[in-house]
Amino acid sequence: MARLTRFRQMFGLEPRRDVDAELAFHIEMRVRELIDGGETPERARHLALQRFGNYDQARRECVAINERRRRRMVRADFFAELRQDIGYAFRMMRRAPAFTLAALVTLALGIGANSAIFSVVNGVLLESLPYRDAGRLHVLQMRYPDGARYFSLSAPDFMSIRAETHVFERVEASNGALVTVTGIGDPREINASFVTHGMFEALGLRVALGRTFSAEENLPGRGNVAILSHGLWQNVFGGDPSVLGRTITASGRVSTIVGVASPEATMPDDATEAFFPLTMDQAFDAATMQGRRNEFLRVIARARDGLGDAEIAGDLARLAARLETAFPETNGGLGFTSVPLRESIVGDVKKPLLVLLGAVGFVLLVACANVANLLLARGSARHGELSVRAALGAGRARLIRQLITESLLLGTIGGVIGLALAYWSTQALVAARPADLPRLDAIGVDGTVIVFTLAAALGTGLVFGLVPAMQATNADLLRGLQESGRSGGGGRRMHRMRSALVVAELALAVVLLTGAGLLIRSFLALTDVNPGFQPGGAMAFRVSFQGPDYQNGDQVRTRVDQLFDRLRGLPGVTAVGATTVLPLGGGGAMLDFAVEGAPPPPPDVNQEIAVASVTPEYFTAIGTPLKRGRFFSNLDHAKAPRVALLNEAAARKWFPNQDPVGRTVLSGGPQTVVGIVGDVLQRNPGQPAIAQMFVPHQQRTNRTIRIVVRANGDPLALAPSVREQIRALDPSLPVAQVMPLEEMVRRSVARPRFYTSLLTLFAAVALVLSATGIFGVMSYSVAQQSKEIGIRIALGARSIDVLRSVVGRAVGLAAVGVLVGVTASFALGGILRSQLFGVTIFDPPTLATVMAVLLGCAFVASLLPAARAARIDPITTFKQT
Amino acid sequence: MGASASQPGPDILRGTLDLLILKALSWGPAHGYGVARWIQQATHDALAVGEGTLYPALHRLEERGWVAANWGSSENNRQAKFYALTRKGRAQLRTETDNWRRYAAAIFAALDAPAHE
Repeated sequence: MARLTRFRQMFGLEPRRDVDAELAFHIEMRVRELIDGGETPERARHLALQRFGNYDQARRECVAINERRRRRMVRADFFAELRQDIGYAFRMMRRAPAFTLAALVTLALGIGANSAIFSVVNGVLLESLPYRDAGRLHVLQMRYPDGARYFSLSAPDFMSIRAETHVFERVEASNGALVTVTGIGDPREINASFVTHGMFEALGLRVALGRTFSAEENLPGRGNVAILSHGLWQNVFGGDPSVLGRTITASGRVSTIVGVASPEATMPDDATEAFFPLTMDQAFDAATMQGRRNEFLRVIARARDGLGDAEIAGDLARLAARLETAFPETNGGLGFTSVPLRESIVGDVKKPLLVLLGAVGFVLLVACANVANLLLARGSARHGELSVRAALGAGRARLIRQLITESLLLGTIGGVIGLALAYWSTQALVAARPADLPRLDAIGVDGTVIVFTLAAALGTGLVFGLVPAMQATNADLLRGLQESGRSGGGGRRMHRMRSALVVAELALAVVLLTGAGLLIRSFLALTDVNPGFQPGGAMAFRVSFQGPDYQNGDQVRTRVDQLFDRLRGLPGVTAVGATTVLPLGGGGAMLDFAVEGAPPPPPDVNQEIAVASVTPEYFTAIGTPLKRGRFFSNLDHAKAPRVALLNEAAARKWFPNQDPVGRTVLSGGPQTVVGIVGDVLQRNPGQPAIAQMFVPHQQRTNRTIRIVVRANGDPLALAPSVREQIRALDPSLPVAQVMPLEEMVRRSVARPRFYTSLLTLFAAVALVLSATGIFGVMSYSVAQQSKEIGIRIALGARSIDVLRSVVGRAVGLAAVGVLVGVTASFALGGILRSQLFGVTIFDPPTLATVMAVLLGCAFVASLLPAARAARIDPITTFKQT
Repeated sequence: MGASASQPGPDILRGTLDLLILKALSWGPAHGYGVARWIQQATHDALAVGEGTLYPALHRLEERGWVAANWGSSENNRQAKFYALTRKGRAQLRTETDNWRRYAAAIFAALDAPAHE
């Protein structure tokens, strides 16, 4: 303030008044001189003004100059004071290293955790998809009358929408498939996308080399061209720029490589390794009724600029109605829906991530409360110092500014350390690839995260600094100089405030602990679900039979039999089976289903069943029990009568209180039910099994099968010899996804495990912070009341009484915190409901545990201060005063 | 200094007013009226200084740190704002005086020079 004060002394209060006084003095002097020279007063005044010239302009200019000077000085003063404050703050931090360390660790943890979770949210949910104008991209889906959604469209429906839409400027389709690439090193399976030529334009995908597809290449017989993904080009072709014009053999089909996609050009599935033109044969006919219920295309549409969801929905409804009129048999009751592309990618992780962000925000609040508590304690320690400054003329605003500068500085340093923590933890997170989060590679510390962290750091500094600053500079400050030996005048009020902060901390910790507890209970319930098979002791892998040696089903079947013979001969192997769909790998192809003799389903119900092909020993290999009838045998071969097995869900659904064995079901043809098998988990333990039908692989042969080998001992130890046997049989067979069944079970709960571990970690941090909060408050209050306690001891109070009173107060505080926290948990519990499994928000064991943990923590945290209180020597205490 | 939109007297060149103010203050602190009086007398009233333009000039000199201002009592016991040269202002006066002498000498030399050959 020094310079500004000097300025005021020079100018008086107001530059404007100052200038007026100066100019008036001039006129007055001139008038007096003229009167002395013999002029009349009126004329003298007139002459003086005339001589002066443009009075108003001179005045205006002077005022402007002075205002400018003043502003400059204020600014210079501000920065000079800021420098001074920051220097002072650094000195104060150095002088109290224990306080500084405690505050910085707390803040760095709180802010770092927030930055880390925010960078996940930012990468997954906020950052734009790597497509041109990604906000205008939509995925088109089918909606069946029963509300079920299909993620694919049929070729004729796709062509109809493409031809007749008013809202989309482009409608493009792709079909993903696994293909076996041979001729370059070991045979390998890759993810291929068969796309309409406009897909590149629609998504804004670029090629690094060569060209994209032309319209002609989508015609039958013209599509023997390929575009490699950047990754495949790098990994298989070593980034060779002369790759254009060479050929790639995919599942026996030879294609000329015409392009290499740029590194960021990926399909939304994020897995495509090569692009081929989608062959648009006679099935792609907008005028036909044929094949309208054969959905296999993933359709992506780019909306025209500036269109809202309502307009898009309206247009799709119009198209559905049009198709329903034109093709009542196939399209009756069917609708189309559009889902924003981002939603279709990240839809199911959005809510849990936001919950995590909210939880980590709570951790930051706890950290704030903790540091505010530390500051309050320090405020009383600094009472004397602040009083001296106040006595020397520093105003309250000035002192508050000083204290806020200190807390902002703490926040900023904590934020910088936190940012470093976030940087490392997100890198570790991405490297660990938890729970196949979508868009994992977009996660990282970038500009947005840095801005967020900075804002969090400064906001934190303000939040935890303001109350202690107000408190430390209250009206008693001046009196404080006389009191400085004793506890500050606001001691009692300060203590109340610190207790309130601890209660708030505890309440937040309770909310987090309750959430974590519920998630842990859900997770345990999930892992407790009977999977319906025995994961231990079995492993699975995938084999594809493609190429010239496998032109028909017989060739595939023969080779499977030969392979099984070899595998059964391996030491320790007890069962070998194959399936098209493993447990936790889905249900299988959805096919129409009817029971012979049962009334046909109403026309608007799409009665379907999930169908998988299995070999006779499959259920033995995975360890799923037979409930009724018999398994398949080698007698159920391609030329034998068609047979089927149903799972219990299917038996319950279509044969309530009846025995399905012996009945005939219709799905692509009649087949006799020969047995019922137990339900197995199909997606994850949280979802009940859907109706499933199994048919013999001999009767419905698939080129890609998953083979399960059950053995005594570690199943994975068999993997090398399994590979060896396959290579010996046919070196061109690609083996993929070799994995113990236990690993598949583990992966099916990877996401809940991820969320649960994070929330538990946050709750643990909050708990530790609140425990230190209690410890701090109790230590402080014991120090404050040492004299009082000393008197009590002198009057005969026993140590145990003192101990009990301190611990009792801590536990009392904790009880209030628990009460508030539990109430808040109920209020907030709804957010968590969709993540829960097998428990409700009101879960007595969880609540009881949380309460016990909290109260126990408070008890332990107060033991040390209580012991100190009990050891107080009354004589020493009195001598000190 | 040149930013002033006011017209200095017909015979006052731009920048000259600053020099005259500095010179006026070189004899000791003075208020604005005193400066105006000194200029009037020293130039034998030849330079009609529009007195109004004196004050923005004074304030600008103050802004530049060439003069320092303080309120004090005038000769007739009125509160007046007194200006004094600072060390910086004194140096500036020397420089500007030298510049002006060289400039004037050059102009005089030119005015007295014989016709072009």
